[in-house]
Amino acid sequence: MKNLKKYAALLIIFWITGSKVMAQNPTDAFKVPDYEKFILPNGLTVYLMEQHEVPVISFSAILPAGAIYDGAKSGLASLTAAGLQYGTKNFTKSKIEEELDFIGAGLNTYANKESAGLSSKFASKDANKVLPILKEVLVDPVFDQEEFEKERKRVLSGLEQAQLSQRNVINAYWDKFIFGNHVYSNPVSGSPESVSKFTVQDLRTFYQSNYSPQGSAIALVGDFKSQEMKTLLRNLFGGWKKSTLVSKNLATQAVNSIQSSRVLLVNKDDARETTLYIGGLGIRRDNPDFVAIDVVNTVLGGRFTSWLNDELRVNSGLTYGARSGFIPLKHSGTFSISTFTATKTTEATLDKALQVLDSLHKKGIDEKTLSSAKNYVKGQFPPKYETPSQLAGLLTQMFWYGFNESFINNFQSNVDGLTVAKSREIINKYFPKDKLQFVLIGKSEEIKGIAAKYGPVTEKQIKADGF
Amino acid sequence: MKKLLSILLLGFCGSLSAQTKADDVKTFTLDNGMKFLVLEDRSIPNANMYLFYKVGSRNEYPGITGLSHFFEHMMFNGSKKYGPKMFDQTMEFNGGANNAYTTQNLTVYTDWFPVSAMETIFDLESDRISSLSIDPKMVESERGVVLSERSTGLENSPWNMLNDAVYGTAFQEHSYRWTVIGYETDIKNWTKEDLERYFKTYYAPNNCLVVVSGNVKVEDVKRLAEKYMAPIPASDPPKPVHLVEPPQSGERRIIVQKEVPSPYMMIGYHTPEAQNKDFYALSILSSILSSGNSSRLHAELVDKRQLASMVGTDFSESFDPNLFMIYALAAKDVKELDIENAIYSEIEKIKKDGITEQELQKIKNQKLMEFYGQLETINGKSNNIGTYELFFGDYRKMFDAPAEFSKVSIEDVKRVANQYFKKSNRTIGVLKANVEE
Repeated sequence: MKNLKKYAALLIIFWITGSKVMAQNPTDAFKVPDYEKFILPNGLTVYLMEQHEVPVISFSAILPAGAIYDGAKSGLASLTAAGLQYGTKNFTKSKIEEELDFIGAGLNTYANKESAGLSSKFASKDANKVLPILKEVLVDPVFDQEEFEKERKRVLSGLEQAQLSQRNVINAYWDKFIFGNHVYSNPVSGSPESVSKFTVQDLRTFYQSNYSPQGSAIALVGDFKSQEMKTLLRNLFGGWKKSTLVSKNLATQAVNSIQSSRVLLVNKDDARETTLYIGGLGIRRDNPDFVAIDVVNTVLGGRFTSWLNDELRVNSGLTYGARSGFIPLKHSGTFSISTFTATKTTEATLDKALQVLDSLHKKGIDEKTLSSAKNYVKGQFPPKYETPSQLAGLLTQMFWYGFNESFINNFQSNVDGLTVAKSREIINKYFPKDKLQFVLIGKSEEIKGIAAKYGPVTEKQIKADGF
Repeated sequence: MKKLLSILLLGFCGSLSAQTKADDVKTFTLDNGMKFLVLEDRSIPNANMYLFYKVGSRNEYPGITGLSHFFEHMMFNGSKKYGPKMFDQTMEFNGGANNAYTTQNLTVYTDWFPVSAMETIFDLESDRISSLSIDPKMVESERGVVLSERSTGLENSPWNMLNDAVYGTAFQEHSYRWTVIGYETDIKNWTKEDLERYFKTYYAPNNCLVVVSGNVKVEDVKRLAEKYMAPIPASDPPKPVHLVEPPQSGERRIIVQKEVPSPYMMIGYHTPEAQNKDFYALSILSSILSSGNSSRLHAELVDKRQLASMVGTDFSESFDPNLFMIYALAAKDVKELDIENAIYSEIEKIKKDGITEQELQKIKNQKLMEFYGQLETINGKSNNIGTYELFFGDYRKMFDAPAEFSKVSIEDVKRVANQYFKKSNRTIGVLKANVEE
């Protein structure tokens, strides 16, 4: 590969929607097709968008049941989401699998930091078979004891395997280091110690408190007729009762601000390379400068010719890739520069990355570079919303973050309107300059002295429980 | 994607009316032998260009292992009109992005761009094919990048390490025996002359297939191809790879040490190339074993007996006979031998009793869904059209695939299981922490 497209998953995502569009004209601004939105009496929000190019339907659900609700039981949201598939009132786990496998339908249930989700893709002719199963998975899961025990074993084994790769665990260490005691520090995966203590009853309680039509949405995109689909969905999901228990959303509590530079060093005895993040707090998803921030980040570390990748990879061969990005959440977020390098070049890499960040602040961005970044952001935008699955995901994200319509409709002009002067303001306001935070995962005995150069060092062991 | 055709007439019937058909792909070949496949698709205001060079690690020999992949990197390091860094800078300035990948069989360059940038893309691609600079300073810097790529792959994935060992054991003569990334010492030692010879041999218009999909017009692609690609002279066709792996005559084993919590296992059986008549039956067999939680290996090893935390198979298209790979990750405190025996016992059941009608129909249904998936994006279209053209000799075979899978019978699957899943034809690799016990 020339570069790792998904390294560290530092992605910023934009959404747009729009008016009636048949086929896209190359000279027009990109728009997504028409969709319909309605709310059932039980509070469930439903989105429908017809797409007929391929005879398939994508289904996406979003529920307020992410890791921020884990409480003391780290990993509970994730196991509960997986547990939706351990059987339902009318279908055993193996029956669900046989039915869906037979028609080539996919089903995935998962938890993220803030929300839980279900996604499924199936042939449009099978809608009448699949939708009743999806409904039961969401509304009537039984959380079978035996299946839970099996899954727990696999999760524990997965947590142990994850420690083999710095890349798998650095995000969890980073969030814990940046967010401290705030619920945004909760690792989605949980830790071996906490996961080994759950009972299946914990999953049931978590489900009852957090899975409810109120506050949730489903989106269907694909080859169907909206009128028929509406009736079908009303019949299926209309009887889903609102939960009487509602978890408190602790994510709205303030995140502690960062006081000074600090370094977290995670030791991995057999490491030959150091994987590292540098950064601090970032932005909320509803930040009004969202588009402008992404354009500026594109210059710093959001594409192949970004200053970070150019300096660390192209000019010096220190790494295979270097990038930067914001991860915005509903109430806070992080910013990080991320890369990896051989153990012996750890210091050179850190210093070069800091130089690049420093020059962003000192020199800012010139007109030509800004134009290039603007063209790039606009040009790479449409393929993000090309498939029914991408569009269904877009609709549930719109629901979750409550997109501001003016922001949505003004995407192109927001990009175009960014001036050099404004980019200077964006840099000053959102890109950390000092009090930088560092997470280094590598061979501690060889990089400990280097780590101390950048701030007081806290040391952890990759093999220890938790993050 | 967003063709709203006669919506009112469609219900759950799944009309195929808006779907891409083989006849929608237009094709032309320039005088210098460069072949183009073009698919107009107006779903998004974007397009792509996939350039498939018929060179991969199978074209290498000891001393230059990894050179195909290294070249994939060098192609971004400057040519006559667009000097160092200018390829990426120009493309990104015009709203485009790119990547590239190298396999045992191919080196593929992928450009994604707003359609307004198409002429720039042609200019960039033609410049580097016709007149690449091989600057010694760039070669040195790029060695560092590739060594970092190699070590990060080995550091982060035990599967990479095990895969390399199994290929190195299963193949003793054919060039599939070294990895695509190459040997570390070769990466450090190949010369500028090696690079120049490689470029001249393989980076010729007659050794390249170009696929363009998206919001383009065929006549525009043709006009630009004539302007930018046609003037590049053809080269003598590269010498075909003559190596043939002799039949394996006995089971082989390879053990690799790495500090992992539980053993990793791969079992590879020699199987034929993509154009062999058994390809579709073997592909179905692969899905029977591992596609979905109801598949044979998953249901038995992961779910019922909990011997493995994951299990999978891989059988892909290849120019020369390659491996049908089965892989499993042991559950905690499970011995790899128990997993190995459990895998053989599932294989023996198929060899003896075959599969059921229900299972066969399930896989055929899944294959049809996979086919739809390939048509969902302009990138899926370009990648798959190109793959079928190269590996199966005709892009039309992509559209025939659902029908080809439909023809496979229960007997066919049983027959290929008996023919290829033989003890003497397999290589077992185990990666684990304790190799002294």
